[in-house]
Amino acid sequence: MSAVTELLQQVVEGLGSGAVYASLALALVLIHRFTGIVNFAQGELAMLSTYVAWQLVASGMPFWLALPVTLAVSFAGGMLVERIVIRPVQGAPELTVVIVTVGLFIFVNALAGLIWSFTVKDFPQPFPDGGIDLAGVRTDWSTLGILGVVAVVMGLLYLLFQHTSVGLTMRAVACNPASARLSGIRVGRVLMLGWGLAATVGAVSGVLVAPVLFLEPNMMGGVLIYAFAAATLGGFDSPVGAVVGGVFVGVAETLTGAYVDVIGADLKVGVPLMIILAVLLVRPQGLFGRAAVERA
Amino acid sequence: MPSTRAHAGADFLNVSNLHAGYGQARVLQGLDLSVARGEVCAILGPNGAGKTTTLRALCGMVRGRGSVTLDGTELLGRSPEQAARLGVAHVPEGRGTFNDLTVEENLRVGAHLRTGPRRRGRAERAAVAADLERVHGYFPVLRRRSRQAAGSLSGGEQQMLAIGRALMLRPALLLLDEPSLGLAPLVTRELFEIVRAVNEEERTTVVVVEQNAQLALDIAHRAHVLEAGRLVLSGPAAQIREDGQVAEVYLGVSVRSRKAG
Repeated sequence: MSAVTELLQQVVEGLGSGAVYASLALALVLIHRFTGIVNFAQGELAMLSTYVAWQLVASGMPFWLALPVTLAVSFAGGMLVERIVIRPVQGAPELTVVIVTVGLFIFVNALAGLIWSFTVKDFPQPFPDGGIDLAGVRTDWSTLGILGVVAVVMGLLYLLFQHTSVGLTMRAVACNPASARLSGIRVGRVLMLGWGLAATVGAVSGVLVAPVLFLEPNMMGGVLIYAFAAATLGGFDSPVGAVVGGVFVGVAETLTGAYVDVIGADLKVGVPLMIILAVLLVRPQGLFGRAAVERA
Repeated sequence: MPSTRAHAGADFLNVSNLHAGYGQARVLQGLDLSVARGEVCAILGPNGAGKTTTLRALCGMVRGRGSVTLDGTELLGRSPEQAARLGVAHVPEGRGTFNDLTVEENLRVGAHLRTGPRRRGRAERAAVAADLERVHGYFPVLRRRSRQAAGSLSGGEQQMLAIGRALMLRPALLLLDEPSLGLAPLVTRELFEIVRAVNEEERTTVVVVEQNAQLALDIAHRAHVLEAGRLVLSGPAAQIREDGQVAEVYLGVSVRSRKAG
């Protein structure tokens, strides 16, 4: 295998994990845009969703039916979390909100352990084995499948936000909640919708990554760090940035793992942390984010 | 000096014994005023008199005690979104445009109450399109800037957009908080002329809070002067404008210099 094909091979693999990071990062960004909250529990909510999918499949439901059911459950769950956990602290000091989401993280993690135990579970691979070879670069069906699913999710979100009145309402709330209220928008409901949507997008990342990582309550811990790096890199208020950041982080992860000997497989988790640090030092608003400057 | 009492009773907007404030700071301490249907009413007074607080209490942005009725319906105790549903359109100080959204999207958000879920029939869509036309008629610049982000507009254009968005609500009561703030005199004059046109053509009741008393009195039918959270004077705008002593005591030099010139 030539050096170039080897490199391309690594990039392709990076794209697969990058798509997973992108969708969790997108969930983070959605919530941050709507509420200004960084939801540390986003990964755990995705993990819980993945258990729901696993339970459905384990009880005999075909995967491609279990998926939409799981997404619907996640949507409802996300709305409930907003109403019950987040609404009471909305507008509280930032640290209070952070602690609440960290608390939610611990609660959800423990809840999953309580219900499903901490032993690793095999999650069904929804995509066929094998793949296609293109000029010596092998792309697994699973990688293509992940990319496809994430692309569909992004496309649907784009349509929702740019071409529906609900989406316009959501963007108005994200932009200026006070003015949205004055226009008669029920902001509380829109925020619930935002959390539901974020939980759904997060669930997609969990379900996609579970066959690779195996399902257990701590499954999303690592993914969350990569998603944070992706969201930071892309800009915490930019959905497009989250996607670009996710793909970049995924590729950077595989490339450094493969080519930088010091890092290898064990220190790979240092890559997102370095990215976070570098972005915060050089361009804190991220690639696509905007610095908080507005004309008066 | 005509009293508000004689005027009260059959009025469209009735504020009586209104108390409102922020936490410990009680700004309004028993305010009474009334506005007739189709009238432009100016609320004047020095900084800190409670002008902005009055508007915010009317639209539900701050809580108040007492009573505020619009066409007989109590407004106090309602949230801003409920007030909007009752036809109260508030253009806040600092404009409150959706800066990430385009100009047209801003206007469409203003029509939210008629395009929300369950209400997206062909008739509604046509009505919203007609309203867009109507607003573009008042503010032609908004048509030219339709696809531009609201955040990229000049201050005057943003103020026009804010008022345009409020008009999309087809309000029964339009509340304008310091529309002249930070704008060039020429722009402000144009803006006030448009507000006058809206009032004359649509019979929309307008309550405008202004530091620039002269401008506000030019378009207002009646004016109310607040000081330290209380109504100290009210009457026909023309009369207040001509009253030299009033101008000197409450409204600063702007009215005096106008009289001199």
